Amino acid sequence: MSSTSGSATADKPKSEDSSVPQRPSEALSKDECLELFRLLYLARYFDVRLIKEKKRGRLRGTLYSSHNQEAVLVGSLFGLQANDWISPIHRDMPAFFLKDIRAGWRNPERKGMSIEEVCCQVWGKVGSPGRARDNWSHIGKRDAKIIHSTSMLAGTIPVAAGVVLADKLNGGNSVVLTFNGEGSTAQGIFHEAINFAAVHKLPVITIVENNQWAYGTPTELEYSLPDFARRADGYGIPGLIADGQDVFDVYDKVMQAVEYARAGNGPSIVECKTFRAYGHGDHDDDRAVRYREPDQVEKGRERDPIAVCRKKLIEKGYLKGEAAKKFFAEGKNAAEVTDEDFPPEVVEYLKEGIEFALKSPVPDEAEGAMWVFKENA
Amino acid sequence: MATLEMTYREALQKSMFEEMDKNADVFLMGEDIGRYEGTFKVTKGFFPKYGTRRVVDTPITEAGFTGIATGAAMAGLRPIVEFMTMSFSILALDQIINHTAKIHYMSNGVVKCPIVLRGPGGAAKQLSAQHSHSMDGWFAHVPGLKVVCPATVADVYGMLKTAIADDNPVVFYEHPRLYAMKGELPDDPNFTVPFGKAQILREGKDISLVGYSLMTQINLQAAELLAQDGIDAEVVDVRSLLPLDTETIYASVRKTHRAVVVYEDWKSGGFGSEIHARISEDCFDDLDAPVGRVGGLNVPMPYARNLELLAVTNENDVVAAVKKLL
Ligand SMILES: Cc1ncc(C[n+]2csc(CCOP(=O)(O)OP(=O)(O)O)c2C)c(N)n1
Ligand SMILES: [Mg+2]
Repeated sequence: MSSTSGSATADKPKSEDSSVPQRPSEALSKDECLELFRLLYLARYFDVRLIKEKKRGRLRGTLYSSHNQEAVLVGSLFGLQANDWISPIHRDMPAFFLKDIRAGWRNPERKGMSIEEVCCQVWGKVGSPGRARDNWSHIGKRDAKIIHSTSMLAGTIPVAAGVVLADKLNGGNSVVLTFNGEGSTAQGIFHEAINFAAVHKLPVITIVENNQWAYGTPTELEYSLPDFARRADGYGIPGLIADGQDVFDVYDKVMQAVEYARAGNGPSIVECKTFRAYGHGDHDDDRAVRYREPDQVEKGRERDPIAVCRKKLIEKGYLKGEAAKKFFAEGKNAAEVTDEDFPPEVVEYLKEGIEFALKSPVPDEAEGAMWVFKENA
Repeated sequence: MATLEMTYREALQKSMFEEMDKNADVFLMGEDIGRYEGTFKVTKGFFPKYGTRRVVDTPITEAGFTGIATGAAMAGLRPIVEFMTMSFSILALDQIINHTAKIHYMSNGVVKCPIVLRGPGGAAKQLSAQHSHSMDGWFAHVPGLKVVCPATVADVYGMLKTAIADDNPVVFYEHPRLYAMKGELPDDPNFTVPFGKAQILREGKDISLVGYSLMTQINLQAAELLAQDGIDAEVVDVRSLLPLDTETIYASVRKTHRAVVVYEDWKSGGFGSEIHARISEDCFDDLDAPVGRVGGLNVPMPYARNLELLAVTNENDVVAAVKKLL
């Protein structure tokens, strides 16, 4: 196979396999498009509810909001096959229940976490796959093909690459999506992992959630490229840019990268341009108001992914009349939005998850020292 | 002498301000330390005062900036590097062990490396497996590094001055649970605390509680509890691990004839094991009981609060260990 290098910021990976369509989203049915819209609400409502739960004092721990970045998660996960892997990080909590959600929100067989599991994870209850060993994103579920994250930024990329290397050696053809903030890309391990994946043509798609801030540091102090995606040039792999506010564009770019990888061409980087709505975590909300210019925040948030999707659905004729005017969650902060701004099934879904978690027990003390090692058979 | 009251964090700031004012070669480097003024706010006020030349915001690149600071130190500057938490220094261990710590030896004493590697280490609260590491023992294993773990407000002030003035690499170990602690320090900008000198923070005759960093404060609380039961514990604050002041520790043990070493790190192989071994080796004839050891549970730090509380050492654990020996 000839080299695929030099594709740089090309919107489309230059592949031998020219069957990868430029706009896979055009093949989505009306129902699928409407489902994407609903999933944006679901991701948003998850975030909103957790913020409210913390304000009410019912939840502990740091909350890394994905508000305004939901299209990145929804759009990148929607086209995956059940047996594909994902490797989310701190800002990607909705990814845990969004994975394989097309198989049915409440389908116990689907290869994703149930909302109950995710809520138990957040609340530190035994109902989480990790039985509260760790919390938030530091959890995976092997059967669901979700790789746990660690706190060490970018440290998940080699691990994710190793998982699909094993699949490949075993004759499988799964791909993995690894999620990373743009700030995390400065880590040396980012380079090591992607270089390895490029050399061995591993099906690793690195989603860079470029929300323009890494804690209190703006992008110009993290890397010196106008478009991060050009970093891909150095590895000889495709670097795609997606409008992170537009769920369809994210879907298109990620699906191009996925099909390219599945065809055996190797890794890609997909830079999704978006903007962090609040502080780094909720502990940082007050400071973020001071270190970010109000103009920048306003501009970064003016294209709410729910609004962008609504507009597209209206253009496509999939949302009309009253339906097009319902549930105006866009543009509102957690404090401003109410349950009436969301589809009732979304509110119900979260309510069930949270109630389950609140009722769940904490782990038994005897568990504290268990499972440091696997008992040899 | 007049004293000032302030927090551990404020004492750190005061110390750094004074040293940076005195010596233009001293500069800061780290993630979110400049414009953002530090995630734990230790560098609050430094960027506005000293600007980009002396307060360098870095990309998220621990291995990279540690190596870069090492190079700057070799070339004559005196960098103070902040790790957002000491848990992130794990990513820089190759640079620290293979460059920072070795260059003086390998250059036949020609190239010195005056660098301070500082940041909060140890478990705060529910930060779980990867943010709660005690790194003190890892560093204190490496010849060529000095490692200090101040437990009081006066010490954090005076030892940072000593660290900055030292011509060797110094790992300056702060504790997240001490930042807000208030205490006193002498109102004297020339006050320093030398390395390699332990201190007795509470005199007692029945048993020596030997610890450092947060565990010294835990030992002080344990001593209060023991006093209620009529047990008179002496609290030895080790302060610096490398160099280690065995004389003060041994003198205390020779007086009380019993000792418990308390450390936050995993019990197996933590630096407390080294102190334990030294006492056992060198004070054998003075001991009326085997030396006790209290360390963290040998598990990755669990998140669930009830499990975390089981894994970290508290004053009751120390009291229980003492009672076993009396
Ligand atoms: C190796 C490492 N260094 C530092 C940190 C502390 N830290 C946690 S999140 C973060 C900023 C990450 O920014 P970015 O990658 O852009 O992701 P975002 O939070 O914006 O989604 C930092 C510095 C860490 N977790 N790991
Ligand atoms: Mg970011």
